[in-house]
Amino acid sequence: MRSLIIAALAALALPGAGHAAEGTRVQVTGEIIDTWCYYSGVMGSPDAVVGSAHHTCALWCSAGGIPVGLLAEDGTVYMVLKVEDDAQAAGGDTLLRLAAHTVEADGMLYERDGLNYLVVSDVVSDQDITNVNHNDYGNVPSFSIPDPNK
Amino acid sequence: MRRLMALLCLAAMPAAAQSPFPVAIGGPYSLTDQFGQTRTQADPDGRAQLVFFGYANCLNICSAALPLMAQVVDDLAADGIAVTPVMITVAPDQDTVETMGAPLAEIHPDFIGLTGDTQALQVAYDAFSVEVEPLFQDPEYGWIYSHGSFLHLLDGDGDTLTLLPPVLDVTQAAQIARSYLTPQS
Repeated sequence: MRSLIIAALAALALPGAGHAAEGTRVQVTGEIIDTWCYYSGVMGSPDAVVGSAHHTCALWCSAGGIPVGLLAEDGTVYMVLKVEDDAQAAGGDTLLRLAAHTVEADGMLYERDGLNYLVVSDVVSDQDITNVNHNDYGNVPSFSIPDPNK
Repeated sequence: MRRLMALLCLAAMPAAAQSPFPVAIGGPYSLTDQFGQTRTQADPDGRAQLVFFGYANCLNICSAALPLMAQVVDDLAADGIAVTPVMITVAPDQDTVETMGAPLAEIHPDFIGLTGDTQALQVAYDAFSVEVEPLFQDPEYGWIYSHGSFLHLLDGDGDTLTLLPPVLDVTQAAQIARSYLTPQS
């Protein structure tokens, strides 16, 4: 699965240099994800680094500045540049609140360098965490919740 | 008259106009490098630049982004494309002219670290839409900061060419950068 993601990203990253991007208004439904853990694979399989299993780590990563993504229902990943009034791609109050949530986003899509960048003007609906996978994977990674006994 | 001056100032601001996105990504700044020299958004040797906002002892995204920058620089250098890796500090209390050079040199010998006073740094943060927020104080490493983490590819004049998400691997990031740059003869 991870190699499939890498291959898909590599294929996307091929087209030539983009210039002043022309935006397209889109509505996308999907999960707000932690792009580092999703693409690097260091914390687990793509299925494990989303949803309730990865919620705590997603908060840490977003707070640390790692860009968040929107994983659409068709598997497309949109790199989120901005959400509503938050002037940053990670760590803002809105993005922390939405970590691992499934949302319907209305915004502008900018395709550049084979990547999809999304400027979200409106979170039309916030469905909370709908991917309840912690029963399958536990907390991923386990150390994202500090051991109170240490 | 004041309104006219304000309009003229706005007209002279290149940040938003040069951004490849509808978000301010790039613009003028004037900071100080680890050698005590003033450095602006323009590379003194006209080389392309990879610019990242972080801090030298950051254990979070910087520990991935800074080595990625170094590897991309080396990958491009093999094709005759010279790119300078630049880190603009978000922690001027920790990254000073005296201290930031050594840890950056361990990552890449060409790394330039930039710091400055609060006002000068804020100009750079605003130009690149980078928000910096202290999160908590680690007893061993000092303050831990939240900060933006995209890599910015700039040309020799300091104009933004594109963004590179720090989650790309070296091959992908270098491939995108290569599409904007040409080898030097």
